[in-house]
Amino acid sequence: MKNRIIIAALCALACTSVFAQETGRSIMQKAKDNPDGETRYAQMELTLIKKNGSKRERKLESWAKDEGKDTKKMMFFTYPGDVKGTGFLTWDYDQIGKEDDKWLYLPAMKKTRRISGSSSKTDYFMGTDFTYDDMGSRNIDEDDHKLLRSESRDGHDCWVIESVPKNKREIYSRKVTWIAKDCLKAVRVEFYDKLDALHRVLTVSSINKVQGFWTIQHMEMENVQTGHKTVIEVKNPSYDIKLDANLFTVTKLEKGL
Amino acid sequence: MTLLCLLCLPAFAQEDGDGLSVKVKGFVDTYHAMRVSSPNDWMSSHTRIRGELTLEKDNSGLFASTNIVWNPILESESGFFLREAYLYYTPSEWDIRAGRQIITWGVADALRLTDIISPMDYTEFLAEDYDDIRVPVNALRVRYVQSGWSAEAVVVPVCSWFTLPLNPENPWSVSLPGVNIPYSVYLSGTPDKKLKNLEVGGRFSAYSNGIDFSLCALLTWNKMPVIKKTLLAGPELVCTGEYRRMTMVGGDVSIPFGQFVFRGEVAEYFNEAQDPATGMDVVRKNSTNALAGLDWFGPTEWSAGVQYSHKYVAGNLSGTSVFRNSGMATVRISKDLLRSTLKLSTFAYIDVTNGGVFNRLSADYAVTDTIHAIVGYDLLQADSGMFLMYDKNSEIWVKLKYSF
Repeated sequence: MKNRIIIAALCALACTSVFAQETGRSIMQKAKDNPDGETRYAQMELTLIKKNGSKRERKLESWAKDEGKDTKKMMFFTYPGDVKGTGFLTWDYDQIGKEDDKWLYLPAMKKTRRISGSSSKTDYFMGTDFTYDDMGSRNIDEDDHKLLRSESRDGHDCWVIESVPKNKREIYSRKVTWIAKDCLKAVRVEFYDKLDALHRVLTVSSINKVQGFWTIQHMEMENVQTGHKTVIEVKNPSYDIKLDANLFTVTKLEKGL
Repeated sequence: MTLLCLLCLPAFAQEDGDGLSVKVKGFVDTYHAMRVSSPNDWMSSHTRIRGELTLEKDNSGLFASTNIVWNPILESESGFFLREAYLYYTPSEWDIRAGRQIITWGVADALRLTDIISPMDYTEFLAEDYDDIRVPVNALRVRYVQSGWSAEAVVVPVCSWFTLPLNPENPWSVSLPGVNIPYSVYLSGTPDKKLKNLEVGGRFSAYSNGIDFSLCALLTWNKMPVIKKTLLAGPELVCTGEYRRMTMVGGDVSIPFGQFVFRGEVAEYFNEAQDPATGMDVVRKNSTNALAGLDWFGPTEWSAGVQYSHKYVAGNLSGTSVFRNSGMATVRISKDLLRSTLKLSTFAYIDVTNGGVFNRLSADYAVTDTIHAIVGYDLLQADSGMFLMYDKNSEIWVKLKYSF
């Protein structure tokens, strides 16, 4: 059971108890294995903020269900009006090299399109500062992990882990993650570009227990090179909800919200 | 329906104490197009309010979509129009819809091979968003849904037909370029509204890791009329739209690989009516229709797609005016900029057989979250074929759209 409520998946970086022989990889694995229910639901509000302060908004609802190590997800936009009802269905595979299956439903066209499962991961999601890869789940072994140190960050005792992608086509050269030891969630992630300059910073400021599961409910990703940032609020999260067995199908995608 | 007339309401979704969910959404848009060549007249001008209402309780619901249109160029196009209105029932493994609805099949993009249930409204030819020119049909659609596949049955008791404009005030009116004698066109001879003329079909679709495919069959009609041309004394040419029964059997496939998705579609039309030569009767022939397309989902929000569709008409074609082989291609390129607030795109139909092209170039800017400003240029050029009658119709256009 992995934490993968879309953005939560980004931060599926956690840890359990402290052991002297803990490695970066083992911490990341434990973080990924952090319980988050077999099924999940959440509403999300994404606020895109320009350097000059002007704002744009996106809202969506998402459902997810684990099937072994894989996850099926359904997501619909609810705001703004021109994309309202647009839906994504993703069958997200944990296995490295196995392309995800993705479908896009466009309500105006009344049509579902099969879309590429691999190409968009490094693109930014709907103009936000989060990439599609950030929004999905990532196999632990797509990066090499190194435990750098322990330190306190934002009131949490944290492990600091450096992760270097094995695939050199990734848009970042490395990322550094602060994982809170108490809740096994990332409270800060720094992404460095190909020139090893700090590019984006993820800051998590609200981690609460919902139905016994640690849940990130407020986070902010800032592109420090452009000054643009995206704030995500996670609302009404719920876990282990009863979902229709056929929810994650193209037919249900076409039915819409 | 009255609810849909309450315009400019903010979109809302609410649920009452009995679990009845009410959702309203829609948009207001205004679209104006001007011919780029002399006499530089207005090609289109309309302002529209679209309202969509969904009432849902448990697994049952009602969906209705309406348009209120003001069109100063074509008064007949002004008014209140019901677009879709259907009831649905969706228990776990079923998806049942009854009523006026748009049904889409196939994987082709803006080309129709298996997607022939909902016809097209060519009142402004293709100079409209593709989704706006689909004509809803009065149908019962039943789907049985499983995790990796679905089966669908469709019955259309009374068929709908292509809408072709004949009003001479409409720049997109059907005409016969090159005909130098008086002529008249009559398209009202659609089949009787009797149960024996119903349309019925089914589709099986499967979705799995790395491939989707569908198989389908449909007992239908040529909803785009073939034109019987009779030369009278005078001389005068009388053109009448003719409709005949036909059967379609087809399938489609989508295969993603890396940044690409391959799409293929094939349809065999049995006894398809063919355009007759002048003075000849309509004959029916089998035709094979095949499409191959490739979509590219590139980095930095580039995307592109190409398609080629080929038609082969079998049998003796004497007495007809059709080609044994004909082809149509499309090319689509788009790029999102400014954090997905500006979309530049071009979409072209290329009549490979006759050398014609219709290309829509547009720039869509999201002024705010709810307001889009779109400008575009439609290029029409042809030496013969379906685009020839619109050879002088290249236009520039602007559209403002507020979504709620």
